[in-house]
Amino acid sequence: MTLKSEGKGQRKAIILIVDSNPHVRELLSHFLQEAGCAVEFEADGVRALERAREVIPDIIITEILVPVLDGLALCRKLRADPKTRGVAILVFSVLAVGGRAREAGADAFLQKPLSDQLLVDTVRQLLEAPKENSA
Amino acid sequence: MSDEARTTAGLVPGADPIKRLATGNRELDEILDGGIPENSINIVMGEPGSGKTTLAEEFMFANANDEKRPILYLTTLSEPLDKVIKYLQQFSFFDVDKMGRTVLYEGLGTELAADGIGVLLPRIKHAIKTQSPKIIVIDSFKAIHDLAKSTQDMRLMLYEVAGLLAAYNTTVLLVGEYRHEDIATYPEFAVADGIIELARNALGTRDERYLRVFKLRGSAYRQGFHAFDITPRGLQVYPRLVSPVEAASYKRDANRIGTGLPGLDAMLAGGFWTGSATLLAGPTGSGKTTMGIQFVLEGLRAGERCMLVNFQENPTQLAHQMEEIGGKLDADARSRLDLLYYSAVELSIDRIVVSIFKALSRKGINRVVIDALGDLAIAANDTTRMHNYLYAMVQHFAVMGVSSVLTLETDPPIMSSDSSHGRLSHMTDNIVFLDMKEQQDHIGRTIRIAKARGIAHDLQARELLIDGRGLHVVEKKRG
Repeated sequence: MTLKSEGKGQRKAIILIVDSNPHVRELLSHFLQEAGCAVEFEADGVRALERAREVIPDIIITEILVPVLDGLALCRKLRADPKTRGVAILVFSVLAVGGRAREAGADAFLQKPLSDQLLVDTVRQLLEAPKENSA
Repeated sequence: MSDEARTTAGLVPGADPIKRLATGNRELDEILDGGIPENSINIVMGEPGSGKTTLAEEFMFANANDEKRPILYLTTLSEPLDKVIKYLQQFSFFDVDKMGRTVLYEGLGTELAADGIGVLLPRIKHAIKTQSPKIIVIDSFKAIHDLAKSTQDMRLMLYEVAGLLAAYNTTVLLVGEYRHEDIATYPEFAVADGIIELARNALGTRDERYLRVFKLRGSAYRQGFHAFDITPRGLQVYPRLVSPVEAASYKRDANRIGTGLPGLDAMLAGGFWTGSATLLAGPTGSGKTTMGIQFVLEGLRAGERCMLVNFQENPTQLAHQMEEIGGKLDADARSRLDLLYYSAVELSIDRIVVSIFKALSRKGINRVVIDALGDLAIAANDTTRMHNYLYAMVQHFAVMGVSSVLTLETDPPIMSSDSSHGRLSHMTDNIVFLDMKEQQDHIGRTIRIAKARGIAHDLQARELLIDGRGLHVVEKKRG
């Protein structure tokens, strides 16, 4: 199975992972690459925002508890920026705050720990969902 | 994304309650507040032969139901894998069809012996990436300590392993022959979410197995020692009896029940309250067992379901005694009667009390006689434990609406101290004393009500006669 970016030919979907935990990064990376995605990492919210503006990933998966700029603030800034407004956001956090994640602009929320099947299913649903156009 | 899709994607606002995995053992789940929390690291500790591996395997097979999320059992350097599997097959929970599909046994001993403790992290990581294990059991985890070159190495390895296991949705049992002093020094105890100890104590001529939960994060687990046996079905656990959550009300059922002695009913102005507990005390030979039988026979006559628990005479002997006193029981009465016999020397109080309550609940018993508390005290081997059990038992009887008579010998020293009597008298609603006094040419018997909660009872001691049909209260005391 390969998860492709919708409407962008046959290129692999690009996922930007924002998490400072090396085990989480390694496992997310493994299961997403197995599913056919291309994966990039950032460890803090500011660098993630910069990277998102550069590469316009298909999905950003972010923990809320990340340094410099937290995951919820990152969601709001991504939604406020015309360049990144259309990027799907999955908040993947140890905090059980699905409601707050949605209020901040997340499209989906999963609570840690990682369940590989649930992760891949959620990513697939996000990739298949119709998107708002980015500027 | 639709709301429905969001829901299936796990979009649940707010904190979810902790999900738990059933252990495959209802009584153990009861102790663990429903089971072992998902995504937790748990230590199962105890000396060799204490039942650790059996507990782990029962848990594994109970949860092995998804080939995409198998259960992984890793042996280290304690028992050879073949030996573990050989003995596993003797348990009824073993299912050969699950082997290699939903239950995976793998040996780590050779890799550990060759390359040291550093192999553990990559091995677990590989298992997570390629097998998506729902449960990982490492047996024995303590044996890995012996391979560590330093405490620092062990601590660093454990930090990484714990971090990895916390990141992935898997539940872990670390099984080991740990001792109590290890809890303060071994780093795995600091990262563990749960600690379950299995122990075996010599008690007189028998061994008693106990299980204790030291720690279970996020769980209202049942504290204290819980007896268990290892049976062909796995662990048979007897959760320690604690007082019911619903407190017993002093507002009794408005009905009175006959005691089986019309004269005593008269002294009580109509009998005991339904659901009350009565302590029937007296020296050996004073007629306690006979009065207990009469109490049960009266219940049977009233159409109730009755239970007589005895520690000295087997059901055949008891049935014979009942026939002598009350005549032959018809089929209907026999169907409403349960005679339970336990050896207080062979069984612990935990096993006896759990068994009594199982029967009480299953059969909807209305009245019960426990004859005698002195025997239960032998089974408890500890007066405080005995009193705690009795208190909880009487509270449960009250909540269940079961009318009870508990007989107590006043001559053996084990239960006859003033403090014991004082504590017992607080526990029960009624206290009836049977006494024997040497008179000119015979032994005279008396009956006296020391306490009858909520009843304007007769305070006078009455003469008691005993014949082949039981005890009889003499209406007027002879001068």
